[in-house]
Amino acid sequence: MKCVILAAGEGKRMHPLTFTRPKVMLPIANKPIMEWNLLNAKKAGLKEFIFVVGYKSEMVRNYFGKGEKWNVNINYVNQGDALGTAHAIGMVKKFTNKFIVLCGDTIFGSQDIKNIIKKEMSIGLVKVDSPEEYGIVETKGKKIVKIYEKMPKPFSNIINAGIYHFNNKIFNFIEKTKKSPRGEYEITDSINMMIKNNDIEGVLLKEWRDVAYPWHLLDANEEILDKIDKKIEGNVEKNTCLNGNIIIGKNSRIMAGSYIEGPVIIGSGCKIGPNCYIRPHTSIGNNCHIGNACEIKNSIIMNNTNVPHHNYVGDSVIGQNCNLGSGTKIANLRLDKKTINISLNGKKIDSKLRKLGVIMGDNVQTGINSIINVSSIIGNNVLIGPGAVASGEIKPHSKIL
Amino acid sequence: MCGIIGYNGFREADKVLIDCLKRLEYRGYDSAGIGVIGKKLKIFKEVGEISKLEKEIPTLDGDIGIGHTRWATHGSVTRENAHPHISQNKKIAVIHNGIIENFKELKEELEKKGIKFNSATDTEVITHLISNYYKGDLEDAVYSAIKKLKGSYAIAVVCEDEPEKLVGARNESPLIIGVGDNENFIASDIPALLRYTNRVIYLDDGEICVVSKNSVRVLDENKKEVNKKVNLIKWDFKDAEKSGFPHFMLKEIYDQPDSITQVLRGRASEINRTIEFNEKIENILSNGLDSIHIVACGTSYYSSLAGKYLIEKLTNIPVFVELASEYRYFGTRNEKSLIIGVTQSGETADTLAALKEARNSGCRTLVVTNTIGSTATRISDAYILSQSGPEICVAATKTFTSQILVLFLIALKIAMIKNTIGTDELYNYILQLKELPREIRQVLDQNNEILKVAKHLKNCRSVFFIGRGINYPLSLEGALKLKEISYIHAEGFAAGELKHGPFALLTKFTPVVAIVTNDSTYDKIIANIGEIKARGPQVIAIAEDNDTEIDKHADFILRFPSNLDLLSCIPITVILQLLAYHVANLRGCPIDKPRNLAKSVTVE
Repeated sequence: MKCVILAAGEGKRMHPLTFTRPKVMLPIANKPIMEWNLLNAKKAGLKEFIFVVGYKSEMVRNYFGKGEKWNVNINYVNQGDALGTAHAIGMVKKFTNKFIVLCGDTIFGSQDIKNIIKKEMSIGLVKVDSPEEYGIVETKGKKIVKIYEKMPKPFSNIINAGIYHFNNKIFNFIEKTKKSPRGEYEITDSINMMIKNNDIEGVLLKEWRDVAYPWHLLDANEEILDKIDKKIEGNVEKNTCLNGNIIIGKNSRIMAGSYIEGPVIIGSGCKIGPNCYIRPHTSIGNNCHIGNACEIKNSIIMNNTNVPHHNYVGDSVIGQNCNLGSGTKIANLRLDKKTINISLNGKKIDSKLRKLGVIMGDNVQTGINSIINVSSIIGNNVLIGPGAVASGEIKPHSKIL
Repeated sequence: MCGIIGYNGFREADKVLIDCLKRLEYRGYDSAGIGVIGKKLKIFKEVGEISKLEKEIPTLDGDIGIGHTRWATHGSVTRENAHPHISQNKKIAVIHNGIIENFKELKEELEKKGIKFNSATDTEVITHLISNYYKGDLEDAVYSAIKKLKGSYAIAVVCEDEPEKLVGARNESPLIIGVGDNENFIASDIPALLRYTNRVIYLDDGEICVVSKNSVRVLDENKKEVNKKVNLIKWDFKDAEKSGFPHFMLKEIYDQPDSITQVLRGRASEINRTIEFNEKIENILSNGLDSIHIVACGTSYYSSLAGKYLIEKLTNIPVFVELASEYRYFGTRNEKSLIIGVTQSGETADTLAALKEARNSGCRTLVVTNTIGSTATRISDAYILSQSGPEICVAATKTFTSQILVLFLIALKIAMIKNTIGTDELYNYILQLKELPREIRQVLDQNNEILKVAKHLKNCRSVFFIGRGINYPLSLEGALKLKEISYIHAEGFAAGELKHGPFALLTKFTPVVAIVTNDSTYDKIIANIGEIKARGPQVIAIAEDNDTEIDKHADFILRFPSNLDLLSCIPITVILQLLAYHVANLRGCPIDKPRNLAKSVTVE
């Protein structure tokens, strides 16, 4: 049994984080989304993987290599043009007969993957609260009747989860699939054709985490951190306070006066403190520096980023190689306490969140005492000058002075 | 010149080959063909564009094959002369880019052995040579065959008896290997592959490569395996598409504010008030320069002429601009002079030959090119990339302006080193450079006015372009752009030269485009316009924003921002490009692929 993970997409809704990496390489609790799927699939007994890659494929390839580190075997296929899910799955025709397909940007549980493995020709289903964002599935008993496109007023809250178990018959239908109105070859169209003569079963999933927009990373991060166990490999100085489940990587140094409330994960080679406050549900990548008088809460801080002095970072995602100037603070709550609207790629989106800080791309520099307003989206390589105020959507490579 | 592609992998080879050929079409497009090995070797060729081949081709099953788009050098444009060429036993197929110089002798030799030739191409001798040497191992046969060849070649070969193997070889023609997952490619150029992989190996002269589905081996002249570096290409294949514009040319014209920013990036620093190049280049520029020779062809020659003006003005070093095809045979070489080769593709055969000649006689060589890893960057002492991104339209636009700017930066750097300009003046130029993208956007906003003028030009038999000083090379470029894409006869003249002959051609039906800048020659060119008007032609003036005097003299006026000093050449060029584009578009010409032309000219 081979496991095909679809990892070719760019993830436009994840801008600005995906300007510099493919969506599946976004880190959650210090591991790319893709790695969580790999680990869960491995736990479910799968050892042979095919990654269908495309956008910035070298990053996936450099990180996973041939899979030696995970003791699995990884083979790659380049999708070429991103022509949709059916096109992506069609790529693996020459390499496998029976296989599991996972959408690489959604995290699936290992028990659920196991259940799908058991049932040849099946589709994972999941119940969600807001089904209007997804493809609705009509079922009769266990059988799938039809998969519908996104609809404004769905008749059911059971949706297509993005995990499938196929045999080689699917390729015949993929070949016959026509382009959908949005110009892509959709696997749901292939499945709808196949259902007419072949039975496909639905398998209801228990764990499922879809990450569409950058702020969803924080939800997924919280969910995974809630499950971690304490593991301290770095150096912890005297007079520090570590409460709850905390992971500290090798060669990281926690200096005196640091107060850390778990669950928190800190990567390797970091310098934390002295005198800082790290609050629950925070992931800090490798080689980061969190310095004196800094407070971080419910945030993802990626590799090689510094939050060095007098900073507040709350409910935020901060990219790689960023440096916050002394006193740079990030607002995360509207003064009128309303839910937060976000402008992303020029579109207004209601996040339904009450608190959200900044979504910051890679290589951003901020000057001293600069201010980042609630729910700002800051592109990669932006420079924010001393004392400047950044708010709204800021394009990559711009300067705010 | 031609484009070649070879595929060995898991996809349907015929579809991949045609897709890649479309991206190589700019290298030539008078005929095309592909060969695929399924159970047997099957060949399909067609005269005309790739889209015609695509329409008429039957499905060729198989996952290994080769494809070729031709730009005829030996033999006319016929189906027989299209590649691939197959051996007599119909088992070996070869595609080739380049020219085999000793093909006549080889052909006679082979004909004596009783081999019948089906085409008039030089390529067919390669096929029969390989077939002659073939004893069960294709790479051995190719290896023996290329020993016999004199001239330039990039070839790709497949053999029905070894359907798992694709063999390539290069000498003085471009060839790269694309490294994919469970699939590998060979191709003339990177854009052909970008959709499938961004990892490439650059093959060097004399090397051959053996490409299977999962591995790539490169052998040198002595059949020793070479360890080659796999390079990661940073452009996206989307960069090579039209992004919403009707033609690549228009897209590339509109790219210029960005491409200019790219040229300046990391080189002109506002904060440090200096021009920075890497150490190698700075060394070359700082060691006592007597004179500078710039060698180039076509559009690059015109940008070099503009560069000559800029360098001489700023540094007082004499600059000689020479056509590469002439310089290589007749030019003077002096060890104290710097030879700058200007070539967009980095593969222009004449420029490469001129650079090699110069280097062999001990001159320092510097290359200005747009293509990293190209042959030119490898045979010269140092290179400066114009960083414009791929240019697909055959008529050069953004690379022209980028080349001028690179030469301008070189001029500033030498001037800094030689202290011929002061720091304030330098800073002033840097500020002007940084303003350029905005000025160009201003010019692009005049698109509609330029279109109106183009309507007056579209039915003319000839158009003349005049200018003085740096505007003279610009008028040459303006004329070249117009003639190459709209097929209207056009010529550029130094404004003062018009009355020494060309005046005889002026009539009511020969409009003149005059480039007018507010410099010391302003009165002279106004006088020239008066002389022209007296003979009947309409005058289209390209003039500065604040020039009100010109209204009295010209029939149409296109404006560019004032106070740009030396850099006015960039916005003026943009106006000339848009003018040529609109005229060609109104005349319904195939703008991106004008007849008889090819993007990079890799033959001499």
